[in-house]
Amino acid sequence: MSFHIEVITILLNGLQQGAIYVLLAVGLSIILGTLKFVNFAHGALYLIGTYAGLLLALDVNLTSGLLAEWGYGQLGLGLGYIPALFLVPVVVFVVGLAMERLVVEPFKNRPDTDQILVTFGLAIIVQELFRAMFGSGSLPFSQPTWAQGAPSVPFLSAIPISQWRYYVIGITAVLVLIVYLLVEYTDFGLVVRAGTRDPEMVELLGIRLSRPYLLVFGIGAALAGVAGVVGGPLNPVNPTIGNEILVPAFLTVVIGGVGSIAGAVLGGTLFGITQAILVSTYSAWAQVGLYAIAAIVLLLRPQGLLGEEEVAP
Amino acid sequence: MSDEPATAAETGEETPADVPGVFTLYGNELKTLIATAIVLALFPFVFARMPVVSDVLQGYQSLTTLILIWGIFALGFDLLLGYTGLLSFGHAAFWGSAAYGAGVFSQHVTGSPVLMVVAGTLVAVLLAWVLGFLSLRRGGIYFAILTLAFAQMLFYMASSPLAFITDGENGFTGVETAELFGMIPLEEDLPSILGELLGTTLYAFVAVLTLLCIALAYRILQSPYGMVFRAIRENEQRAKFVGLNVWRYKLMSFVLSGLFAGIAGSLFTIHGSYVPLSSLYWTESGEVVIMTVLGGTGSLFGPIIGAGLYLYVENIVSGFDTVGPFWHLILGLVFVITIWTFPRGIWGFFQDVRDYITGGDDQ
Repeated sequence: MSFHIEVITILLNGLQQGAIYVLLAVGLSIILGTLKFVNFAHGALYLIGTYAGLLLALDVNLTSGLLAEWGYGQLGLGLGYIPALFLVPVVVFVVGLAMERLVVEPFKNRPDTDQILVTFGLAIIVQELFRAMFGSGSLPFSQPTWAQGAPSVPFLSAIPISQWRYYVIGITAVLVLIVYLLVEYTDFGLVVRAGTRDPEMVELLGIRLSRPYLLVFGIGAALAGVAGVVGGPLNPVNPTIGNEILVPAFLTVVIGGVGSIAGAVLGGTLFGITQAILVSTYSAWAQVGLYAIAAIVLLLRPQGLLGEEEVAP
Repeated sequence: MSDEPATAAETGEETPADVPGVFTLYGNELKTLIATAIVLALFPFVFARMPVVSDVLQGYQSLTTLILIWGIFALGFDLLLGYTGLLSFGHAAFWGSAAYGAGVFSQHVTGSPVLMVVAGTLVAVLLAWVLGFLSLRRGGIYFAILTLAFAQMLFYMASSPLAFITDGENGFTGVETAELFGMIPLEEDLPSILGELLGTTLYAFVAVLTLLCIALAYRILQSPYGMVFRAIRENEQRAKFVGLNVWRYKLMSFVLSGLFAGIAGSLFTIHGSYVPLSSLYWTESGEVVIMTVLGGTGSLFGPIIGAGLYLYVENIVSGFDTVGPFWHLILGLVFVITIWTFPRGIWGFFQDVRDYITGGDDQ
């Protein structure tokens, strides 16, 4: 393999890994920026997305867990990947709405630490619930046959990357663009941004903030769900994936700057590409490098790369 | 809460004669420590050997040691979370690094348990100083995420780049613990009545350190220094306006809590003769968070009770046929319910019951 192909492969792999981080980080970031709510259960939403995608897209044969014991070993709707891609965000969006009403609302006026603790507890509950139901082993979630192998486009066919990864990058780009336009150029976005600045004033003007907030949380959750369903076929699927991806996702938000969609994109891409480069050069340092970057950015620029100077709490 | 310790110190600066000496007792110190010592002495007997009770509880000796070790860890964590109001999600860094420190020290220098604890604790304290310095640049949620990030960095460091010291994924197996003071084997039962009560020398060793840790924590919290921690928790801005160097106190609170985590981590190595890589993973930080909150933040004994409950569920309830496989789920549910409805935890519940009975004038 020639050198430039190798470089392009690494960059594309990095972009794809970054795309997953971006999807999670954009959701986390808008939730943190507007609702001022710290969601340690965001990884759990990713987990729900992955499992929902798996069950919608394929027929799954469970070998352990309660569902198998109860005689539901043959599970899954087998609708295929395309319907799953559209249905999963809807499912996780609804989960997000429920979570906003049942958890976020009651904890809005509690201290940050309580929010972190309760969502951390929820993340454990979701993880253990999935472990109990589906067993703790990894489930097979293969890439769709039509998306395996390099695309048959003149230039890209020389690069050994499956089409699925291009789709992941493409889907992420489109979704993030939609969210960006929604927040920046619509009336809904105007209310959300105003609410971020000065919620009291917005409510005094007679605008109910609770609905836009609900929607923001739902959108953030749906993005995590998408991340789960597009990321699922690229990694082993087991109940711990949610909490494993939570830490890098949070770091992406923090180095990008809280509330900044562009920051989340920049941070996620930076993380993804760094990781890809390190994996193919000094693989032992791949994970450490991620955290080292985060540490350096935060020490030099505590508000994040594209974050605004925050007012001291 | 009385203002006496604070005024004593203020006047103390002017007239050195009023400075309370090391042996001056604060508040109910003597009473508290004697009561603690009695409980620590009876605990293994009741839990592992007492005829009916231990059968019902299904307790065993080595779990009592483990409970105290995690109790020390949770106690130190509570100093930070419950008293200073800082939530760290990276305490596995101190626990794990002390565990590795003690293990490596025993392999290359000496296996004396006392020196192992000193070495491990030193590693943890130095690390806490550095990480505290870096993480405390930002408050609130950023602090939680930063500590989490640094701890994870350490985990991945230990897993591959430093694998030549830590043995990477396999965990560190080269622990060589020697006899206590060069003559008493740790794993053997103590003679006669002491053996019946305490069990092994290891338990006695851990129990003595636990008592010392509780005494230290009690001292810190009753002193003007501890009063400042609480002031920061209640209102950081106001503490700043009074003229206190808030940042310095926060850092010291962090380092002190790293000290306790270090003692506990080193003891964990002695107890298990093995350091698993997972001792640095962030779920370990999560466990100490759960223990502390379950037991009750902002209390001296709550976290230790929380540690006991957690380990009991993890090690004994997990063996039950019916609910056993779901022990982690049960703990998660109990944890969420605690935060939701009763943020003061088990100890807070005890206090409420006591206040209800006595009419609440004890406070």
